[in-house]
Amino acid sequence: FLLLLTVTVNALEGKDCKESVKLIAESTNLSEEQLAFLISGMYTLLREALRLPLSTFKQEVSSGNTWSPDKIPEDFIVDFCSIVFGNRRPASEGTALMQRSRLPSVQDLKWRVDVAISTSSLARALQPSILMMMKLSDGTAHRFEVPIAKFQELRYNVALILKEMNDLEKRSILKIQD
Amino acid sequence: MAASVVPESDSIRRAVSLLNAMDAGRFPRLLSRLLQKLHLKAESIFSEEEEEKLQIAFSLEKQDLHLVLETISFILEQAVYHNLKPASLQQQLQNIHLDQDKAETFASAWAAAGQDMIEKFRQRVLTPQKLETIGWQLNLQMAESMQAKLKSPQAVLELGVSDEDSKNLKKVFVEFSHQELFEFYNKLETIQAQLDSLM
Repeated sequence: FLLLLTVTVNALEGKDCKESVKLIAESTNLSEEQLAFLISGMYTLLREALRLPLSTFKQEVSSGNTWSPDKIPEDFIVDFCSIVFGNRRPASEGTALMQRSRLPSVQDLKWRVDVAISTSSLARALQPSILMMMKLSDGTAHRFEVPIAKFQELRYNVALILKEMNDLEKRSILKIQD
Repeated sequence: MAASVVPESDSIRRAVSLLNAMDAGRFPRLLSRLLQKLHLKAESIFSEEEEEKLQIAFSLEKQDLHLVLETISFILEQAVYHNLKPASLQQQLQNIHLDQDKAETFASAWAAAGQDMIEKFRQRVLTPQKLETIGWQLNLQMAESMQAKLKSPQAVLELGVSDEDSKNLKKVFVEFSHQELFEFYNKLETIQAQLDSLM
């Protein structure tokens, strides 16, 4: 049983476990179908349990109501609980965070500040400008020029969003109870 | 006194004679129209019908009209390049034997709209893409398929990037968490410090 549990936890953490499953299949005498049932059942159970954050999911509540003892033997429940509440949990949560569906985020930002001294239309231009290259997490790269006025607008907007985020975080902790 | 800005070539001489023959009443409006539109790279300044109307108004052949328009554009572009004062522009025009009143019209139109034109030319850049618009959205993510009852704030920044001269605004969506946004802000502050040290 413990082997199966380890395999499931590894799967939740995002590691590849085809090898371990093959080893288990060879070592025990369960049929393939039973094995599949067991692993997927444990995976779903653990995934749903990990979905709810720690504060909602008190230890007594879980072992009492959620997992009816006649379906799962007692010591298995203890093992389950240790996984859900123990210190392997942050790893599973970390993987869950990684796999979130998100819009692309900025992976890398390169910039440079130029001053155009002279152009074909103006002998004395002296116009500063900013060139930015943004690499996003989905692999696309965008290179564009930012005029000084737009740069100030961008800076102002980013500062505004940060301020709003701070306010939101302070407020929401008080209002929305888990 | 700067060297002659407008060289005395044959086509210039011919254009000047045509200009001197032109009706002085309609001349200022033509000048101001050119001054407004010259900084646009892609479009031509007058449409077909407008060119025909101009031909009739000034009683010029098509080629002569083109020559006149090109000459005026050239003069204005040279004025922008050397950042001429209205007085020196007038002097230059008189040097190439343009009539007194036409030269004065040039000088007054230049005095009125010249600085704006110089500014517009200054803003022109040669890069392929330029940031045009900035929009943003602040979300509070409550749950997702892997995690229930979150409460993490996310910001989505929408950057409108245009190709040459405002064609095809492409929208780039970028998502930030609090930490990522803070790092982005720090980078912007570094750039601002660089800009300030330039001044």
